[in-house]
Amino acid sequence: MERSAAGASYQRFPRVRIRELKDEYAKFELKDTDASMANALRRVMIAEVPTVAIDLVEIESNSSVLNDEFLAHRLGLIPLTSSGAMSMRFSRDCDACDGDGSCEHCSVEFHLAARATDSGQTLEVTSTKDLRSTDPKVCPVDQQREYQQALGNVDAYEPDAAGDHRGILIVKLRRGQELRLRAIARKGIGKDHAKWSPAATVTFMYEPDIRINQELMETLTLEEKQSWVESSPTKVFDIDPVTQQVTIVDAEAYTYDDEVIKKAEAMGKPGLVEINAKEDSFVFTVETTGAITAYELIMNAITVLRQKLDAVRLQDDDGDLLDLGAHLTGG
Amino acid sequence: MPPATSAPDAPVAEGDAEAPPVPTYRSLAAPVSNPVDKFALLPAFLKVRGLVKEHIDSFNYFITKGIKNIVRANNRIEARSDPGIYLEYKNIYIGEPSVQVDFRVETITPHFCRLTDRTYSAPVIVDVEYTVGKTHTQHRKPSFTIGYMPIMLRSYACVLNGKDEAELARYGECPLDPGGYFIVKGAEKVILIQEQLSKNRIIIDTDNKGRVIASVTSSTHEVKSKTVICMEKEKIYLQLNQFTKAIPIIVVMKAMGIETDQEVVQMVGRDPRYADLLYLSIQECATERIYTQQQALQYMDDKVTYAGAGNIKDGRSKLILRDVFIAHVPVNNGNFQPKCIYTAVMLRRMLDAILNSDTFDDKDYVGNKRLELSGQLVSLLFEDLFKTMNTYAVDRMNKNSDMARSSPLDFSQLIMQQDVITSGLERAISTGNWDIKRFKMHRKGVSQVLSRLSYMASLGYMTRITPQFEKTRKTSGPRALQPSQWGMLCPCDTPEGEACGLTKNLALMTHVTTDQEEGPLRNLCFSLGVEDLSLLSGEEIHAPGSFLVMFNGLILGKHRQPQKFANNMRTFRRSGKIGEFVSVFVNEKQHCIHIASDGGRVCRPLIIADKGRARVKEHHMKELRDGIRSFDDFLRDGLIEYLDVNEENNALIALYEHVDQDGVQRSSITHIEIEPMTLLGVVAGLIPYPHHNQSPRNTYQCAMGKQAMGNIAYNQLFRADSLLYLLVYAQRPLLTTKTIELVGYDKLGAGQNATVAVMSYSGYDIEDAIVMNKSSLDRGFGRCIAMKKYTVTSEKYGDGISDRIAKPQRNKDGVLIKQNMRV
Repeated sequence: MERSAAGASYQRFPRVRIRELKDEYAKFELKDTDASMANALRRVMIAEVPTVAIDLVEIESNSSVLNDEFLAHRLGLIPLTSSGAMSMRFSRDCDACDGDGSCEHCSVEFHLAARATDSGQTLEVTSTKDLRSTDPKVCPVDQQREYQQALGNVDAYEPDAAGDHRGILIVKLRRGQELRLRAIARKGIGKDHAKWSPAATVTFMYEPDIRINQELMETLTLEEKQSWVESSPTKVFDIDPVTQQVTIVDAEAYTYDDEVIKKAEAMGKPGLVEINAKEDSFVFTVETTGAITAYELIMNAITVLRQKLDAVRLQDDDGDLLDLGAHLTGG
Repeated sequence: MPPATSAPDAPVAEGDAEAPPVPTYRSLAAPVSNPVDKFALLPAFLKVRGLVKEHIDSFNYFITKGIKNIVRANNRIEARSDPGIYLEYKNIYIGEPSVQVDFRVETITPHFCRLTDRTYSAPVIVDVEYTVGKTHTQHRKPSFTIGYMPIMLRSYACVLNGKDEAELARYGECPLDPGGYFIVKGAEKVILIQEQLSKNRIIIDTDNKGRVIASVTSSTHEVKSKTVICMEKEKIYLQLNQFTKAIPIIVVMKAMGIETDQEVVQMVGRDPRYADLLYLSIQECATERIYTQQQALQYMDDKVTYAGAGNIKDGRSKLILRDVFIAHVPVNNGNFQPKCIYTAVMLRRMLDAILNSDTFDDKDYVGNKRLELSGQLVSLLFEDLFKTMNTYAVDRMNKNSDMARSSPLDFSQLIMQQDVITSGLERAISTGNWDIKRFKMHRKGVSQVLSRLSYMASLGYMTRITPQFEKTRKTSGPRALQPSQWGMLCPCDTPEGEACGLTKNLALMTHVTTDQEEGPLRNLCFSLGVEDLSLLSGEEIHAPGSFLVMFNGLILGKHRQPQKFANNMRTFRRSGKIGEFVSVFVNEKQHCIHIASDGGRVCRPLIIADKGRARVKEHHMKELRDGIRSFDDFLRDGLIEYLDVNEENNALIALYEHVDQDGVQRSSITHIEIEPMTLLGVVAGLIPYPHHNQSPRNTYQCAMGKQAMGNIAYNQLFRADSLLYLLVYAQRPLLTTKTIELVGYDKLGAGQNATVAVMSYSGYDIEDAIVMNKSSLDRGFGRCIAMKKYTVTSEKYGDGISDRIAKPQRNKDGVLIKQNMRV
């Protein structure tokens, strides 16, 4: 295929180094690529990696204090385990059914039935206790966690796993109130509604490149060094107790706030430190809602991104961009 | 110098030393003792008073006292042909809110009325005595219902009165709802507070031609009239609607029996400057050759507008002088002396104003204003309807007595026509048209539908004051912020545009007085050394050093030691011997003491200070916190008193006890504010740090705060408003002001605490807009519920066939039985 930019190759080979990986948290470095790639990855993770969430609620009986729409919205926001979401069908593309959730390819049915009996206690309807899935693979994340806990598969590093077991509160019922409903969970992406977003936070930062001019630094007294080190709002620098040299303890703690540079100028020593952002190196922090693991989130994001790029590549040069447009809006 | 603590001449040592000690070097260096925190008084005040107590108080006054006075004044009706046939009202009272269904009485609750489009009304019950037939046999009928009256929520007659939160919940009522409105045909109606100029007070002003005028709007139960005395071409005239032309004032004086010019001048005052100003008027009278009362009356008879039936002008003017001219001054047994003196005082004040323009009255001064509340308005309406009902009954009786009837007719059958009072009250309150011909009253928009846009909107409605005069008056005077509004009317809360500055709102602690009985007060004044007017000659009235004593606009007499008299009156008030809302105002400029006990004055509570030291001490506040002492106890013990706008002029009020302000001598401070923030109203109280804002911003917020969506009431989901907007996740404001906590806004929040990032000073910036995060909207930020009422009539077709409302029916498989049903 002839391309206008043919000739010069801009191909690069990005590297990924994982620093930390837990079920719901990941921190990794992405090197040898540029901000557009990093940002594309970030945005795909937030808005285009599919999950499953409750999308259709049929209320049979609701005598609670919250109205039907209110409850439907709350149910939708409950994160459901969505490991299989990538292989599921969007209900609008599903041939096996007409999108009303009657087939297992595109939907999962949930049931909820709760009634506060005559005890004076207020009944809390929660995602753990009351929301029943018809598919064991898709259930509220806290149920999954409870199940894992029962199996003894709890990761030791998750401290909150031992804490709150109550799950997500849907509604409180007083004596005599009842809630019965059928809900259908579907596959979707965060772009359509935030409830389908698997990401809690995805951020990346440029890796800072900090160079201290040690010669100039040595012209400072210890007190001056101390006050310069303390001028940074985050703990980036420290003074070596032995050599009394200023050292970098945590470059990534730097928030590009320029405080130390301003301080150096105020002290009459411009050029004391030089800080640059490495434009081809990023540090990602990924947290998920629990719908999928952080690992899955990253890998699925790459898959989705690749699919999108394929859609661009498959296009004729002079062809219209309808397919891409459809892809972008549909995922 | 002796130590500060042992001041030997401390007069009355009550607890700690009251008299300020002599400052010593050591006492000045000593740490300042902590000021008493008096904030707790404010919640205590609002607890006993509620947020809209003025409405409820005024209505309570009407149903407990006002209505009885009206009936007592018109308690007997007789047949014209036979005075032996009569009906006498022995007693009147308001029953429990109820409704008659098929001759059965059922009690009703406000919420039931809201939901069923009914009027929340209670029967007006009378005990009557009447005679029947030619024999005049006397009958008595106790508990006789003459009509139904809409009842103000939370008034004495309301079922909600004095109920606690749990009981209110059982009635389906929100405990935060302040009450003070009516429910008529299912709609909540507020009778807005009406602002008008004081009745029965002399106002010296200039008219649009620049002439000096003295005007009095007289208002008694029988007559309402306006008397104007004006100065034209240096001559003084009386203007009255009943005369075609202005009458020279000296002629009027002569007509009232003051025939010598010397007497006139003596009554006005001996100061030669007054005589100079009167000279031309006296001369004019002389050129008309009017020297006697007879001549004066004849002169005036010629100028009478309407000669009455039979076109007899003779003697008309005397009747006019008696009944219309300054009508509130009584003429007993043809004694015109009080009216003469009153006229002379009017003249004197006018001449004073000409000599010294400082003494003009300010129409916009809040002390010259009266607020008319729902009780008074309903009272007028009821009086009219009651009289109409009675005349109607008399007419019927007169007509019937001419005819022969099989059974004798009696009045008790005729006043049964319940519709007059029931429908009259209901119609007026539901349309807001107060058309009372008897009192020449034609007002529109007196009552309005209570806005339930938000909790704040309904609260704001209850404190709103609408002006009486037309809004198109573009003059800036009445719109400007008056210094006398301080603490009484909110300086921020006013609409923008047309009604700006005319529509006002009450401040947080304002109270509006109701009428108080005059007789005992009048007697007390005489006991305290007021010299009766009738015993004084014209010369004596204005003797230097003595002050005229005015009581509710009437001249009572004079007093030689005004300050002592005022202090005595105040002592009586503080000890609770006379009503706490009686105002005593010494006007040095006019040499007058004004005693006022009339209704509609605005006043507010203040802490009394002796030589700048508050009477409220820490131990009082502790008792309040411990619940031993209530706000009323503070009043009763003379620690706090109510001051109206006029009496505030005799006081020096400090904001805080401990601060020395503006070089004011501490010993001259007489009162201390309870809490300075109460100068704002309910709506303006929501603004955090209002004193850091540009002033119009606060005004804008007062208009917008009412538009905030949120929760309306605890019973919001059980209400059937035609349109209701609710916020799904309403939040309490992160920053709560004291007012917010007092009015319960933290319990019925409107709005959400948003996180807003502000960046870019002059780049890609936008003004007055924000870019929203879609995900936050998805997750419920700003999510709202709109509820709309649809009304359906279930028709009856006869033969026992009627529409019925049911839910869609399904068969066993869950399929709808009828396909045209929707779920």
